[in-house]
Amino acid sequence: MSEEAIAQTATLHKKGAANVGEAIVITSGKGGVGKTTTTANLGTALALQGKKVCLVDTDIGLRNLDVILGLENRIIYDLVDVIEGRCKTHQALVKDKRVDDKLFLLPAAQNTDKNAIAPEQMKLLVDELKREFDYVLIDCPAGIEQGYRNAIAGADHAIVVTTPEISAVRDADRIIGLLEQEQMTPPKLIINRIRKHLMDSGDAMDITDVTTHLSIDLLGIIVDSEDVISSSNKGEPIVMNPNNRASVGYRNIARRILGDSVPLMTLDDEQPKGMFAKLKSIFK
Amino acid sequence: MKKQLVHIKGTKEGLALRLDDQCSYAELIEELGNKVTDGHLDGKIDVQLHLGKRYCTPEQKQQLITAVEQQQNLRVSKVQSDVMTIEESEHLLEANRSEQYVGIVRSGQILRTPGDIIVLGDVNPNGRIEAGGSIYVMGKLKGIAHAGTGGNVEAIISAAHFEPTHVLIANQVEVMTNERQFILEHTEQLCAYIGANGEICYDRIQEVRNIRPSLSTYRGGS
Repeated sequence: MSEEAIAQTATLHKKGAANVGEAIVITSGKGGVGKTTTTANLGTALALQGKKVCLVDTDIGLRNLDVILGLENRIIYDLVDVIEGRCKTHQALVKDKRVDDKLFLLPAAQNTDKNAIAPEQMKLLVDELKREFDYVLIDCPAGIEQGYRNAIAGADHAIVVTTPEISAVRDADRIIGLLEQEQMTPPKLIINRIRKHLMDSGDAMDITDVTTHLSIDLLGIIVDSEDVISSSNKGEPIVMNPNNRASVGYRNIARRILGDSVPLMTLDDEQPKGMFAKLKSIFK
Repeated sequence: MKKQLVHIKGTKEGLALRLDDQCSYAELIEELGNKVTDGHLDGKIDVQLHLGKRYCTPEQKQQLITAVEQQQNLRVSKVQSDVMTIEESEHLLEANRSEQYVGIVRSGQILRTPGDIIVLGDVNPNGRIEAGGSIYVMGKLKGIAHAGTGGNVEAIISAAHFEPTHVLIANQVEVMTNERQFILEHTEQLCAYIGANGEICYDRIQEVRNIRPSLSTYRGGS
């Protein structure tokens, strides 16, 4: 370690910031591909692994990370309150009691718009959160305007979420191009909502198509599951259910973020269960 | 005897007028006016002006041309000069330089260069390359390519995997549709160029040596 680096660490220790966490922005360009669901589930999965996680919703005006986490009715202060100094940061953090003292949410404001905050303010806030948390996950709004610029301002890494649809992949390509011009590590990819039968029939892009087109590292894949929708509606991230395949996908991604090497999930269909289903599969 | 300021020489392409580059400009234009009016010349004749090492502004060049063309049957086909300004030479240098881009031209990104460009990577759909010269893509070309933006019709577009949405060379535009059977069947190692009919044509990269031999800059021996 160089002298300069030692001096730097020393000052960080003084401020009580021995462990500076990582800030990861989750973005996609296109709307509705599962940014918010991914943020909620990855955050919960990392917290289940024992990491201290803070989720930041930057979709000001159209917040819903709180709804998916089921924390809507516990919000007192929001992101804009913190930035404008109406409350302390810790007052605005909402604790998720299901994951003991590990998972917190900083909700977005609902009654202002995205121009209420500036990227510089956002960076200061994320830097502050990084001193307290191991991971700060930032949920980015759709689009590439002010909200996007706010979301990426403080991030060290970026995760791009896409679905195997040409429109989502096109927007992901645009976002990756923009992210590559920022001061952060190369963005990583999550392919969400994979439907095996569409890939097999050639009606949807397959995983290799998407990864060769975007040519960035694949962080993981999430198979499509209706349980994701029902659990989101219940305000309970799917990761809480260890048997679901989408949940396993999120858990694998969380482990990869922590540095484990986990092989990519196979897309084989689950065996049909029950007598009737078995009979049906014979006659198919 | 006074030094001749304008030498007239007959060539295959008509008359070549070599103008003295040491005398004053006023003297020269006067002498030129006299020279072209006192000869007896029949029929239309093309004239080339050789300026030697004299630098002439575009206005001066125009004056010289008018001086010659006041004689009805003379027409200036070319004005040649051995010198140019540093600015002009830099422009020329820039337009002939080849640039390398290493990376992927993604949706919404535009790459602009006054000369040739070599892309080591892909050009994704909605990505765009604009070059004053030719475009060479080592990866997949799936976006928009515009070669010869300044009007250079000699420019070509070539790619290892040729599947662009739009191909533009100089002022020619082509939207790639499914009608181009040739492209659908062969996407590997293709090039686009402006053919003899003035339209954009496609061929294998191996044919470039016959289509545009002038693109080769290699001067070494074997």
